[in-house]
Amino acid sequence: MIGRRGLMAATAAGVAMPSVVGAQGGAARTLRVIPQANLTSLDPVWTTAVVTRNNAFMIYDQICAQDGKGEIRPQMAEGWEMSDDRLSVTFTLRSGLVFHDGERVTARDCVASIDRWSKRDPFMQVLQPSVAEVAALDDRRFRFRLHRPVPLLLAALGQTQFPCFIMPERIARTDAFTQVREAVGSGPFKFLPNEWNPGQRSVWAKHDGYVPRQEAVDGLAGGRVPRIDRVEWTVITDPATSANAMMLGEQDYWEYPLHDLLGLMRRNRDLVVQQRLMDGTYGIARFNTLHPPFNNPAIRRAVAMAVDQRDYLTAVAGSDPAGWGACEGVFTCDTPMANEAGSEILKTRNIDRAKAALAAAGYNGERVVLIAPGDYPQINTLSMVTADLLKRLGMNLELVAADWGTLIQRRTSKEPVERGGWSIIHTTSSGQSLTLPVTHLFLRANGPNAWFGWPDDSEIERLRAEWVAAGDAAEHRRIAEALNRRAMETMHYLPLGYYWQPSVWRRNVTGVFRAPATVFWNMGKA
Amino acid sequence: MFAYIVRRILATIPVMAIVALFVFSLLYIAPGDPAAVIAGDQATPADVERIRASLGLDRPYLVRFGAWLWDILRGDLGTSIFTNLPVATMIQQRIEPTLSLMIVTLILAVSIAVPMGVVAAWRQGTWVDRAVMGFAVLGFSVPVFVVGYVLAYVFALELDWLPVQGYTPFSRGFGPWIENLILPAVALGSVYIALIARITRATMLEVLQQDYIRTAKAKGVGQRSILFMHALKNAAVPIVTVIGIGIALLIGGAVVTESVFAIPGLGRLTVDAILRRDYPVIQGVVLLFSFIYVLVNLAIDLAYTLFDPRIRY
Repeated sequence: MIGRRGLMAATAAGVAMPSVVGAQGGAARTLRVIPQANLTSLDPVWTTAVVTRNNAFMIYDQICAQDGKGEIRPQMAEGWEMSDDRLSVTFTLRSGLVFHDGERVTARDCVASIDRWSKRDPFMQVLQPSVAEVAALDDRRFRFRLHRPVPLLLAALGQTQFPCFIMPERIARTDAFTQVREAVGSGPFKFLPNEWNPGQRSVWAKHDGYVPRQEAVDGLAGGRVPRIDRVEWTVITDPATSANAMMLGEQDYWEYPLHDLLGLMRRNRDLVVQQRLMDGTYGIARFNTLHPPFNNPAIRRAVAMAVDQRDYLTAVAGSDPAGWGACEGVFTCDTPMANEAGSEILKTRNIDRAKAALAAAGYNGERVVLIAPGDYPQINTLSMVTADLLKRLGMNLELVAADWGTLIQRRTSKEPVERGGWSIIHTTSSGQSLTLPVTHLFLRANGPNAWFGWPDDSEIERLRAEWVAAGDAAEHRRIAEALNRRAMETMHYLPLGYYWQPSVWRRNVTGVFRAPATVFWNMGKA
Repeated sequence: MFAYIVRRILATIPVMAIVALFVFSLLYIAPGDPAAVIAGDQATPADVERIRASLGLDRPYLVRFGAWLWDILRGDLGTSIFTNLPVATMIQQRIEPTLSLMIVTLILAVSIAVPMGVVAAWRQGTWVDRAVMGFAVLGFSVPVFVVGYVLAYVFALELDWLPVQGYTPFSRGFGPWIENLILPAVALGSVYIALIARITRATMLEVLQQDYIRTAKAKGVGQRSILFMHALKNAAVPIVTVIGIGIALLIGGAVVTESVFAIPGLGRLTVDAILRRDYPVIQGVVLLFSFIYVLVNLAIDLAYTLFDPRIRY
């Protein structure tokens, strides 16, 4: 049977063929990627969008970075030295680091970048009161001067959730709440602004002046070697079209394939389907604690008794248990803080007992408004499972279908449901951000400043502050258990377990490695 | 005629002004907050407020509308909240794929649907007529995205004749350009073909019963000449009207087709902007579509004079 190339040869004008051939030659040195979302902004400080962060990992470099075990290793830094009194840390940059515009990377660039980033990063804002000054000592050295020892400083600087990327000083001086206008970094790939068509294509070219570390790649640490000339992201919004493009070899790498299509992908011999990200994606259901019925902790706990995480995870990620895992604590499973102290309530999984608890808690038919985002398949699915659960519990449910843009505005409303408020919303989060109390968004209970739902619990806040100040691992662990126990008592949100998000790539793609974020160094094409 | 064209073009100004006011007001009252999208989950309410202020979204309605209108009058469509790129640049990047898709669809639809409608009218009541009408019902009933998926499965995945997604600019050659447009144009054109074929048939049936057709037949004029020279020309006015109205159908259909075939056109730009609440982009694209639609209506009105000499402006 005649294929596309044959048909083209037969029907298209001869002059068209050289461009096709040229494109094929280029394809061998180009990694064609379907990203998880549309890249609309290039500034990783201005917005926290994951797709912007992934783009930033190509453009920018970090002072230090997380390895495969979650340890912080030097990246741009040759190393660091802590004073005996632990009140100052001096970083020394590796030599030979240059920005994409040819300028040398200096300590002043690092200081300006740290300053801008620390105005937005919630982790660093916790530590900021302990930092007296960050200053450049010379071209290659800068120093943190501290009011008191800050054991978590490296963890903040090397984190993956809201990474501290280094920009040239002239760009890093931009206000942290204003988007920078240039994407110039010193990372392994440089952004090509002339080829950027937001919503369709973003292109990066190898940064020839990049000097990678000599160590082997390990998570986000080690040698970030650019092994391909170009990385091209093509936004394909339709999952079926993405699947077809992968099977036909029109694309090389699909970051977030839909779970429903994984079976199809696995049956194709030219494709590899594997878990690349090191953390699962965690689902949660958040109660609005300001208004009835969920201002009553006993009612929140009653709903928790009906939850079976496996129902949620099967609905989102399919029936294969390898694709998901129950995690009945507030911290990311299989990480140092993970524990199930007080989590027995989440193991009840019984509708009848939950109904009895609901009646005993004094539920009186108050309206429950659940907002489900139809354009966010996974979060929408979690919302539907909760809606079904609440109906089976006999609660007076109003299910509101909205798009994500509407949801994220409506969730800011502190009004009761009669005046446009809400009772339950769902979201997902990377396991990374739920690993430590200091980065755990849903755990915070500082009232009006807490995440939507605005829980207020001084005990949780006290334990969190104690954890930040604690110095050793055993102490951290003890406080984490106390936090989990308290979180199960207050039940400000329902942990719904985690699912894995595999990626798909063509078999000729080489050098793929596991990491806490989707990055493209070290990868090539055979 | 020239005075009429000038009058019609001037009349677009109040139309565009009303569209501008309507679009701006609708977006102002619609729920959604781009600052919250930008700030992300980790941001505090104070952070969101600072971003909102830096984008000028905290200013009163009239101030924002006045500033936007002033920019429009100076030919500046504004800057995207998210990408920091001028809206005009983003439209420029996206207009070629959408226009290409619409033109190819239009040519394909008209060249298939008009002969189909003529033949169906000529062979009224026969299997040919029933087949054409059956096809028309199918074209109306099957959603564009279903047609798109079926075409992609058969011609891209199974036969490997055509690419499944993407767009190649015309500047890179006619072959690669048309290769990417065939499947989307057929998918998008299915409804359009159905619509035009039905209208052509109905109008032709009416015309074919006129006295002058009987006279032409009596004079021994050939069948083909009667159909295409005498009858079709007189049936053209309603057909051209439907083709014009169908442009709106094409604009709507392009949104779905561009998503299914990953064509980076204005349809997808609009949907993406709406989902993120990128107000300047939405406003710019809607204004452009309105302007195109007004121009298409003008072109249709002028086309009437070609087919019916009695119509004069």
